[in-house]
Amino acid sequence: MTSTVQAPVFNRGIDFSKPVFILLAAVLAVLVILPLFWLMVYSFTDIDRNVTFDNFIKLVTDRAMRRSFGIAIGMAALVGILACVVATPMAWLVARTDLPYARFVRILVTASFVTPPFLGAIAWEILAAPNSGILNILYRWIFGLTDGEFLFDIYTFTGLVFAISCYTFPYVFTLVANALDRVPSDLEDASSILGAKWLTTLRRVTFPMVVPAMLAGALIAILQALTMFGSPAILALPAGFHVITTKIWSLFQYPPKLELAAAAAIPLLLLTIILLRGQKWILGRKGYTVLGGKSGAPRVTELGKFKWLAVAFVFGILCLTVIFPYLALIKTAFTETIDAPLTWESFTLKHFNFVFFEFSATRLAVFNTLLLGVLTATICTVIALVVSYLVSRKSVAGAGILGVLATAPVAIPGIVLGVGLFLSYANPTFMLYGTLWILLIAFLTIEMPAGYQQLSSAFQGVHPELEEASRILGATRLKALWQITAPMLRTSVVATWCFVFIGTIRELSATILLTTANTKLVSVIIYDLNESGDLGAISVLGLLLLVVSFIVVYIASKMPLGAGRLQPRG
Amino acid sequence: MAFVELVGLTKQFGSLAVVNKINLAIDKGNLVCLLGPSGCGKTTTLRLIAGFIEPSGGEIRVGGKRISAPGASAPPEARNMSMIFQSYALWPHMTVYENVAYGLRLRKLPKTEIRARVDEILAATKLSALGERYPSELSGGQQQRVSLARALVIKPETLLLDEPLSNLDANLREEMRFEIRRLHDEFRYTTVYVTHDQSEAMTTADLIVVMNQGIIEQSGTPEDIYQRPMSEFVARFIGGTNIFKGKKVGTDSVACAGGLVLRCASGDFADQGETAVSVRHHDILLFADKPASTDANWIAGTVTRQIYLGSHRDYLVSIPGGETVRTVAPITVAIPVGQQVWLNFPPEHCRALAH
Ligand SMILES: Nc1ncnc2c1ncn2[C@@H]1O[C@H](COP(=O)(O)OP(=O)(O)OP(=O)(O)O)[C@@H](O)[C@H]1O
Ligand SMILES: [Mg+2]
Repeated sequence: MTSTVQAPVFNRGIDFSKPVFILLAAVLAVLVILPLFWLMVYSFTDIDRNVTFDNFIKLVTDRAMRRSFGIAIGMAALVGILACVVATPMAWLVARTDLPYARFVRILVTASFVTPPFLGAIAWEILAAPNSGILNILYRWIFGLTDGEFLFDIYTFTGLVFAISCYTFPYVFTLVANALDRVPSDLEDASSILGAKWLTTLRRVTFPMVVPAMLAGALIAILQALTMFGSPAILALPAGFHVITTKIWSLFQYPPKLELAAAAAIPLLLLTIILLRGQKWILGRKGYTVLGGKSGAPRVTELGKFKWLAVAFVFGILCLTVIFPYLALIKTAFTETIDAPLTWESFTLKHFNFVFFEFSATRLAVFNTLLLGVLTATICTVIALVVSYLVSRKSVAGAGILGVLATAPVAIPGIVLGVGLFLSYANPTFMLYGTLWILLIAFLTIEMPAGYQQLSSAFQGVHPELEEASRILGATRLKALWQITAPMLRTSVVATWCFVFIGTIRELSATILLTTANTKLVSVIIYDLNESGDLGAISVLGLLLLVVSFIVVYIASKMPLGAGRLQPRG
Repeated sequence: MAFVELVGLTKQFGSLAVVNKINLAIDKGNLVCLLGPSGCGKTTTLRLIAGFIEPSGGEIRVGGKRISAPGASAPPEARNMSMIFQSYALWPHMTVYENVAYGLRLRKLPKTEIRARVDEILAATKLSALGERYPSELSGGQQQRVSLARALVIKPETLLLDEPLSNLDANLREEMRFEIRRLHDEFRYTTVYVTHDQSEAMTTADLIVVMNQGIIEQSGTPEDIYQRPMSEFVARFIGGTNIFKGKKVGTDSVACAGGLVLRCASGDFADQGETAVSVRHHDILLFADKPASTDANWIAGTVTRQIYLGSHRDYLVSIPGGETVRTVAPITVAIPVGQQVWLNFPPEHCRALAH
């Protein structure tokens, strides 16, 4: 027999997994635990850090505070209901009927996903402010009314619920549409064959199967509404009422009441945890998720004469959420004033000129935003990659704890994290307040769960035997990782990077508490400009943000990666 | 001398010993089958040999050198082994050629030699025409052969296979079974082959190791295992059998329920308590008429089921004492359900089992 015997070598090289594990555990623990720790400390102590329950007593005895909680919860609940009512029929039309342009509808829904909610709120200011709103101007013009009259007022509780729903209904839509895509038609066929009419099948079989998805989506929408800072700050403050997040922010205004802010953040944290538990419970119940199995393509209902009614409904919704707001932003960016008529004379680039050349804050903010976006996306992707490797391959005992730490921030709302980080790092020991570092830490913490979730599911898609096959043929662990796993994960890594990047450049809730004059971001100057009423400049910046986001989304979806080679050719 | 040796090999997950103090010696160039029901620890044993997991006790020696022991194991890449995975584990981003050449490239062989050796193995596995395809463009059987080629091309000292045929359909499985044996005979690696399919083990192995719940029940040649099972578990698992329980009487007989007394020509008896006798289905003789003498190794029963199977008939016969005996008879012996028959258990086919 031919002998190519290599005596087994015992030199194993250095195993990096242990030190890497310890380092990552430390980093994640600092990211997650430190802000929560200081949040707890401040909420249960007075100015001299003596233990007290005064903060919570103040919280519940303060009428304005109680009111803001009540309003926030009511608002969030209505947003959830509205999202379900709008998104569920829409998802069904798109996924299960012969609705024309269904693909296009899905794309536009993605667009409302990508739109930062605070930008949507501003767009709706442009459209429906009682005096200057474009829709109200049109209304007065059509009916020849005087200045005091208006049709819509966005600066109301209803207006706020509406504006937030426009950008949270995609959560319900996406989950329900996915569920409908997966519910196999034979379940419905089974019902039909037993004699059920079309509507009965829809009501008794199809709908109950997507209820969990709908509820889960609604809980996320509620959560988003509850923890959102931008939209309420833009629409509720002028209307003279507060929600929790704006209240917490107001406690940071001079003179700051940090203890009270910390205490007010705790109920928000608890609510978030409860909502996420609820979501997990709903999605985790057995029997509802349809897994695998060979079954026919989803059945398609023919709309017949209702087709154009359905189209009108779907495009009506999309007009409200995407088309009108975008047109409003574009118009405002290119004309002197909001109410200027759409003529060649009123076309101007002065807002662009102002934003890019005259307004001193822009350049710094754009630079900061891109820098933080790139840094956060890169660092977050790297950490998430290593964590998901260690967790999915269980290469170190106790690796699971990393996954828990990386997922934990999902339960910390942005503004709560902002408070926690402020308390942790804006002190003489760290002196990070006023630097980009504190923002970087905030963004890393906020984006870690999403990054980790994406990459760990990607890792689950790569069978461990693929790596083992390379090891047994003589590759070291690192070599196997580099030659086998890395090429197969490339698409997911790029997608994760893009996802985190977009999330970062639109963040406002935590940023608003941590930013200073030197560390302005685009989202913050949009917010500042809104206070001074410069809607033209806002529109320019908003469009900039949107264009960058869409370019990144486009790149992520179009990357000509090795992916093409994974598919059968020809 | 044995080439691969497992000495007191143990692997625990938590408190559960999945592999429990296994001892096994494999001669150089032999093909050994690890055979056992699902969850008995076959894959774990194989992965211990490969070095993907470290033992909790005992050790593994290859060529006299210790390569696995608690806290002192060589990594898989240092073992000069090859493995074929149940999922094939072909890398989807590499062509067939690149997949096969991978191990040689890691060994930094010159380009021309890599090409020569890959071409040679592709020819041996009948894949020459498919070198530029990607794995997703191959059929199941072709993918299987690629994984075989990729494992063999580096000329490993030891080849490990984990249920390599379980993803194939029945015809292909049969074909590949002989293919694996042919390639083994051609290259003579020391091979450990995991399967839960007994006919696969019978046709390919030099040595069959029957595992059950983390221990080795019995190891021996296919003939040994089939003809001379040492335990009820092995007798049942390999080939199917009738098991009768009873008490030992005299020197070589067992008295079972319903007056059946079986004289056994081989095997061990349990001295105390119950002992068992195994008689294979096709070793039982079935008669429609009452024989002359019916004392030892005879019993009367009633046919409860009869199935026509083309080459023979399959019978279930219930005998006094509640047992049901399964046996086969030639096509010409057609006895309707409900009729009385007489069964003869020739002593040379009755094997006593102590446990
Ligand atoms: N990493 C692990 N942690 C805990 N238990 C494990 C682990 N790997 C295997 N086991 C358990 O060890 C037992 C034996 O597993 P193993 O994979 O070796 O079985 P097997 O004989 O290969 O079975 P099959 O024929 O189904 O492949 C099983 O009960 C399994 O649940
Ligand atoms: Mg197995």
